[in-house]
Amino acid sequence: MARRATADDRGLRKSKWAPYGFLSPGIIWLVLFFLVPVGILLKASLSTKPSRFEEPVFDWNFSNFSTAFGDYGTEFVRSFVFAGIATLLAILIGYPLAYWIATRGGRWKNFLIGLVVVPFFTSYLIRTIAWTSILQDDGPVVALYRLLPWVGADGRILATPMAVIGGLTYNFMSFMILPIYVSLEKIDFRLTEAAADLGSTPWGAFRKVVFPLSLPGVFAGSLLVFIPAAGDYLNNRYLGSPQTSMIGTVVQNKFLVQFDYPQAAALSIVLMVIITAMVLVYSRFLGTEGLAV
Amino acid sequence: MSGPVTRRQFMTRAGLAAGGLVVAPSVLAACGGSDSKSSGSGSSEGKGDAQVWFDNWTLYIDKPDDELYGKGGTLDEFQKATGLKIKYTEGINDNGELFAKIQPLLSKGQPIGPNIIAPTFWMAGRLITLGWVEKLPLDKVPNAKNLITSLQKPPSDPTGEYSLPWQAGIAGIAYNQEITGRELRTVQDLWDPAFKGKIGMLTEMRDTIGLIAMSEGIDLDKPTFDKFQPAFDKLDKEVKNGQIRQFTGNDYVDDLEQGNYAACIGWSGDVVQLSKSNPNIKFVVPESGGTLWFDTMVIPNEASNVDDVAKWMDFVYDPVNAARITASVQYISPVQGVQDELRKMGGDAAELADSQLLFPDASTLANLQSWGNLDKEQEQLFDEEFAKISGT
Amino acid sequence: MTMSGGVAPPTFEEVQGGGLTGSDRPRRVGSGWGRRLLTVVAVCIYIYLFLPLLNIIVYTFNDPKGRYNLSWDGFTLANWADPFKDAELTSAFLRSLQVAGIAVLVALVMGSMVAIALSRYRFTGNKVTEVFLVLPLTTPEIVLGASLYQLFLGRNVVLGFSTVTIAHIMFLVSFVALTVKARVRGFDWTVEDAAMDLGASPTRTFWKITFPLILPGILAAALLSFALSMDDYIITDFTKGEFSTFPIQVNNQFRVSFPPQVNVLATIVLIVSVLLLVLTSVRGDRSSVTTR
Repeated sequence: MARRATADDRGLRKSKWAPYGFLSPGIIWLVLFFLVPVGILLKASLSTKPSRFEEPVFDWNFSNFSTAFGDYGTEFVRSFVFAGIATLLAILIGYPLAYWIATRGGRWKNFLIGLVVVPFFTSYLIRTIAWTSILQDDGPVVALYRLLPWVGADGRILATPMAVIGGLTYNFMSFMILPIYVSLEKIDFRLTEAAADLGSTPWGAFRKVVFPLSLPGVFAGSLLVFIPAAGDYLNNRYLGSPQTSMIGTVVQNKFLVQFDYPQAAALSIVLMVIITAMVLVYSRFLGTEGLAV
Repeated sequence: MSGPVTRRQFMTRAGLAAGGLVVAPSVLAACGGSDSKSSGSGSSEGKGDAQVWFDNWTLYIDKPDDELYGKGGTLDEFQKATGLKIKYTEGINDNGELFAKIQPLLSKGQPIGPNIIAPTFWMAGRLITLGWVEKLPLDKVPNAKNLITSLQKPPSDPTGEYSLPWQAGIAGIAYNQEITGRELRTVQDLWDPAFKGKIGMLTEMRDTIGLIAMSEGIDLDKPTFDKFQPAFDKLDKEVKNGQIRQFTGNDYVDDLEQGNYAACIGWSGDVVQLSKSNPNIKFVVPESGGTLWFDTMVIPNEASNVDDVAKWMDFVYDPVNAARITASVQYISPVQGVQDELRKMGGDAAELADSQLLFPDASTLANLQSWGNLDKEQEQLFDEEFAKISGT
Repeated sequence: MTMSGGVAPPTFEEVQGGGLTGSDRPRRVGSGWGRRLLTVVAVCIYIYLFLPLLNIIVYTFNDPKGRYNLSWDGFTLANWADPFKDAELTSAFLRSLQVAGIAVLVALVMGSMVAIALSRYRFTGNKVTEVFLVLPLTTPEIVLGASLYQLFLGRNVVLGFSTVTIAHIMFLVSFVALTVKARVRGFDWTVEDAAMDLGASPTRTFWKITFPLILPGILAAALLSFALSMDDYIITDFTKGEFSTFPIQVNNQFRVSFPPQVNVLATIVLIVSVLLLVLTSVRGDRSSVTTR
């Protein structure tokens, strides 16, 4: 991509109505089933339920929010800490693989990056259950783990924060690898050869040239891992314990088991607001304008 | 043809037309959602030509030849005896999930697919209180007289007009002696520091809290949240100090076998089955007491073919048929006369007739308690506190 | 390449857009030892990614003693002889395929149209639309699911097949739009003019010129959307009512059993998806030549 085509010489159209015609089905769908529902959720979060099996009544009830922070602060903090660690681990594990495919993949590239997507075809639920089988206390993995000097004979992996974080890292790994790969793919690696010619070490060339150019991919990948990880409840359900319960666990339970819609809605809204704020801060920090082009 | 103009017009029209085409059916689909009310529980197909549709828990009826439902065993016998078609599904895995599934329909007076469902007694109680289940046509179920006395007119259904028990069971302590290295007798044994992180609890609140409450000297017959506070505190403490590993459903049987658990709260029938293949797995009713629970058959509102449902209930309350089911599922049968029938069957079935877990004698029964009814507000307090502690 | 190309905005929309394109010779980067070490690391990471899948496949041959197919009890081929033994599981599996099929088709049409609008036209509201498209991707699934749940509940819509499909279409539309758009970005629309100047009708121009050019992007989006729909648990959990997809059924059933047929069905999907991948990566090679 030596130069970016400008609008005019790419033959971009300036039609008055056509673009809206093309946009309308998709956008209307998103308005109806994304924007409107979020509005309804916000309304629900300010409602009160007279009793358990009655409909909520909208009455500007802000107490749902104070309860959200007061009673579930631990779960919020834990969710963000777990998701944060999972994101870092995903970068550490995902980056080398993306880099290897981009630089060494050759004509197998498409296949190799496609393999990264293959796990999605079995539901992540089933992959998570497979981990419980791999990591069971009597299994070989735990037997090896117990050999570690600081672990001891009855150490375990399941039902620990480590298992939950590991599950989050694993399950959303592909979302990290793909965008990093895309950004690495665009890099002209003759730059590193040039850097080497100028006396730079391979590591130096990577650090000063390649890595900065791949940051947009790392950024996108981090969001794609962090966001689903922070709202997840399945990994905790299968790999965790009561002491690793996350905010998703609470929201799911309040909605689908307790029918406490107002409280659950308030918790969801808080989660959404915090994540949006973090996305904004993160994008500022990396010096980009926002998520869209 | 002067390109740009015509094409722009074309694309404009195409875009708008396509927009209309795609949106129209989708909006229809959105509205159509409310019409698809007759879709079945667990499976999307309807009742078909079956007169009776029983949605039950998994592995809760005899299926001797392990064929598709309706072939062999009690289901087949029923079809032969009555000429009625029965559809049997295993769509229930959890009471809360069941409730979440049927609540949107029943609260609006719409029929759900099945005409018999099998909620646990307390959930049946909730459905009865909400007025979502029909009175049973007991005059057409003469065999209902065989219902054992201890399960007649339970607190969840004080008049006994809305539910008939399907199977009953005991919640107690299940443990893997290979790991514990000793016999367990009391709930206190679960808090032994040696088993730290290897103790499991059930997500079924009444069984978990019930057992702990009894060990704290609290009776289950008139439950209030205040009275049960010490039990919740105890549970919370054992969760916080890491003694309790997880809260699960039936999957505890796997955790016990895998050595993930040393001991847990479990259900009698499961452990009877488990201990056959693994004699190290034991079940004990704790000295402070175990809970007696039962699952019911109820008829949801707006159900069709109620008279045919009555025939099914009558059929399974015949001791011969009930014994066949008991021999397979190994829970406590609510039907009098099953013990004798099992003895007549001989072999493994006859052995079951002597099991304390299937036919508890007076002294075992004296050590079992059933939950009294929780009213709506109390139940909500219990559920919320339990959810908070168990993190489920 | 210029620096501005690199710092150019975060590549959300390119996440998968470029993923299945391009073919290059291996580049010589780093020292020999470094390269070899990197290869070893990469192989290890692949093993890690596939370890649970391997576990799933191996356990299709297990003969569990109890109800849970999670620890090894002996070899059998019986599970493969009868992959559809569990009726509830099988019908849930078919329902998953149905939902994914319909959702992907609808999302592909709507998403591609959005992508064409965004890349082919300049119009007021362009930027807003792009930001709006990204929002569903930066909203946690649980919030998407919960808000749809409230919407349907409030409007007395009975949850089931339709609501699950609607939800899947919703999260796939953004995804398809951004993927296809990344694919068409930088595309020179004057080739359409050229075709028309040579006398092609607009319809013919679209099907002969435009469509083949965006097709690889659409295919890549189709494959990934299908995977995302099959993978989804959380949004489905909130919109399912008494309906169940394969993952939902497995989760519900897990409280009482985990039969080997779960593994068999999952393995069948795996095999098909790897075959599809092989086919499309061959295709991708060819079409990427023609696009450039």
